[in-house]
Order: sequence, then C-alpha cells, then structure tokens
Amino acid sequence: MPALKLFAAIAAAVLVHLGLMQLWPDLARTLDVFLVVVVLYGLGGSSLASLFAGLVVGMVHDTLTNNPFGLFGFADTIVGYSTARLAQRLVIQRATGVLALVSFAAALQEAIVVGLVVMLLPDPQLPTPIGVALKAGLCGVLGMFLYIAGKHWLQGSETRRRSRMSRLRLN
Amino acid sequence: MDERRTIWVLIVVLVAQLVYVAVQGAEAGDTWLESVALRVLGPAARAVTSVPTSFKDFREGLRMRGSLQEENARLQRENEALRLRLLQLSDLENDMRRLGAAVEYTTPPVGAIRAVDVVYVDHASWLRTLVLYTGDQPARVNQPVLSSQGLVGRVVTVAGPYAKVQLITDRAASVGAMVLRNRRQGVVRGSGLGRGGLELDYVPRQADVKPGDLVLTAGIDGVYPRGIPIGSVVKVERGGQLFHSIHVAPAVDLGALDQVYLLDHSSVPPEVKEAEPGARP
Repeated sequence: MPALKLFAAIAAAVLVHLGLMQLWPDLARTLDVFLVVVVLYGLGGSSLASLFAGLVVGMVHDTLTNNPFGLFGFADTIVGYSTARLAQRLVIQRATGVLALVSFAAALQEAIVVGLVVMLLPDPQLPTPIGVALKAGLCGVLGMFLYIAGKHWLQGSETRRRSRMSRLRLN
Repeated sequence: MDERRTIWVLIVVLVAQLVYVAVQGAEAGDTWLESVALRVLGPAARAVTSVPTSFKDFREGLRMRGSLQEENARLQRENEALRLRLLQLSDLENDMRRLGAAVEYTTPPVGAIRAVDVVYVDHASWLRTLVLYTGDQPARVNQPVLSSQGLVGRVVTVAGPYAKVQLITDRAASVGAMVLRNRRQGVVRGSGLGRGGLELDYVPRQADVKPGDLVLTAGIDGVYPRGIPIGSVVKVERGGQLFHSIHVAPAVDLGALDQVYLLDHSSVPPEVKEAEPGARP
C-alpha cells in the first residue's frame, strides 16, 4: 500500500511539474514538487523505504532535466533518509513543523546538487542565495498545505467510516 | 531492518550513484537508465503538452477568424514575390553548379528535414532540456535539431519514439560557428547567464566583429552542416590578451518551440575525426 501511494504521488508530481512547465516555467524552476513528495513520504518514518523513495523520485526528476543523470537521485536519496531519521527522533504534528522540515530539506538538496555540479562541471552556474531561500520557502509552503489537506482528508474519511459503522450497529 | 544495516544500504546506494554520475562526466550522453526513464515519462509529457496546445489553437482560431481574408491576401502577394525570387535564385544555383563542376568542387550532402513535435521544454532551468516525439522513425544521437529561425541543438538521448535534445544554450554545448560578414570562425557556447545567452569564443581581437553581425554554423565541428543561423552579435568586449569576448543572442526563441525539424545529416565518423595527421595508412 505505501508503494502504491508513492507511485501515485510520483505520477501526480510528474503531471504537476509538466503542467507548471507549460504554464509558468519560472515557477516550475523554483518549486520542486518532487522534493515535497520525498519529504512527505519520509515523514512516515521508515528510513530504508524513504531512502529508496528518494532515489526513485530523484531519478524521475533527473529524466526531466539534462545530464548528468543521477544528480537529483543522489541528493533526494540523502534528503529522504535524513527526513525519515528526523521524523523518528522528533514528533512533527504541527503544520509549521512540516513547513520548517520541507524548507530545510530544500536547502539541503540545493547544497548537495551545487556540490556535485561544482565537482562535475567545468564552469557551473550556481544559484543565488535569494533563489535558494525562495525555493525553500515555496517548497515549505506547498509541503505544509499538502500535509494539512492530507490530514483533513484522513479525518474526514475516519468520520465517515465511524458513522457507517454506527449505522450498521443500529441496523 | 536495523538502523546500522540501513546506513550500509545508504552508503552503497550513494557510492553507486556517485560512480554512475562521475562516469558520465560533464558531457551529455545516452545512458540506458535515462532511456528507460524517458520511455516511461515521454507519453505523460506528450499528453500534458497537448492539452494547452489544443486549447490555445482553438482560442487562436476564434480570434484570428476576422483577419483571415486580409492575411490570405498578404500571403498571396508574398508568395508572388517569393516565386520571383526563387526563379532568380534557381538561375544563380545553375550558374554555381556549372562553375563548381568545371573545377570539380564537391560539397558535403545536406539531407532532408523532418518536422517533429516538442513534448517538453525546460528552457527556464539552468540544466536546459527539450524532449521530442519522433514517432515511428526514431532520431539518431548527434542529429541536428532546427527551427524555422535557426539552430536549436542536437539529439543526445534516444528512447524509442522520444529523443532528448541538448539546446545550444546549454553550458556544456559548443558549436563550430562563423561570422557571416567576414567568415571568421570561432566556437559558440551557452553562456548560462540570465535566460539562454550565447558566447562566441576564439575570435581573435584583430577580427572585425560588430553588434548586429549574423553568426552561422561553420560546418567544422563534424555535427552541424554549414550555414544554419545561430544568432546575432549583441555585444563585443575586450576579452583576454588574444580573443574578443562576444555575446550572441540566439536566433531561436527557445521558450516558444512547439515543433522543430530534425535534419538528416550524417556527422563525421569518429575514426576520421580521431585519426592522427602524421599516421601512415
């Protein structure tokens, strides 16, 4: 079931990314929906599953950018593992906590990608600190909204399930 | 699985990825893993791209309906002028062929062009990418990609009916180029600054280059044929001791591509490229 959820999340992220590329390319450059998927999956707390989730999501992201292939795969593997480890140690229940975590993950991913690009490319163009901050902020906000929406949906489905059960008992 | 084992798995996965990335190096290339991923994601990209395009076409059709007659008359006039020009150029071509045959002049063959759809453009990112849907007839690695305005890039990865293109504005891309006015040759590279500028390198300071000069492919890199427009010079600065620092604006608006052309041009074979000048046959 978690694998199915991850697959659905990746498919949704691909569609959102492609849609943004068509409508607002600049926003697609700043807002990394794939990273948000990795972090929200990592909140589940299984470090091994999050590690592989990061690897798969990162490679999907790599396919939609130019070479070197594996840049985001490498970064998202570390991000997925780190998020899961943090979620095991900290109790993150408030939406602002998710915002902080996703923002931190975005900054970490950017740092790893820049480090790899500096090592691999002869004359790399590096992102500006403002650009990194903007990306971290936007990703954080998106992560927070998705977390809140997910929580509401879970609560709603739980309420519906309970009311169904009570009706069955009455019958 | 306990945490210590997970850490070992993490280390193995990271080292494997690092080796994979390092082996590829900075050059854009065709890797099987990327080909597989492109085969999977290509249809999604095609589907998403087609929705706004169809909507835009429908809206444009409604908007343009009123001015179609005027447009038609203008195109007919333009067609007449072009026919006349074609007659003049055909005459010149015949002259050139006759003179060329007299001195046994041979030019490299330039193949046919084929229109293909763009299904994904990542022109805003600093890693610049374009994915094409080529249908039943797949593209070839290193095949030149053009638009009606000029050079777009070259194919770097092929996965069935999909092909990934390295744009000329990519920082790792380089094209053998020449200034049309004085035939001075150099190398055009993606500058990566701002949104997709180009730089013309290795043009000596003695060379006369001015803003507005047209830059074309020189046909010296073994990938692109001669004479395809790359862009125009926008700024010439004093570079190092020997060369100008020349900024070039691309001829093609890479953000407005929905259809491009694949040029059927055979690149120079590697054995010919890599042959040493002094080597005996």
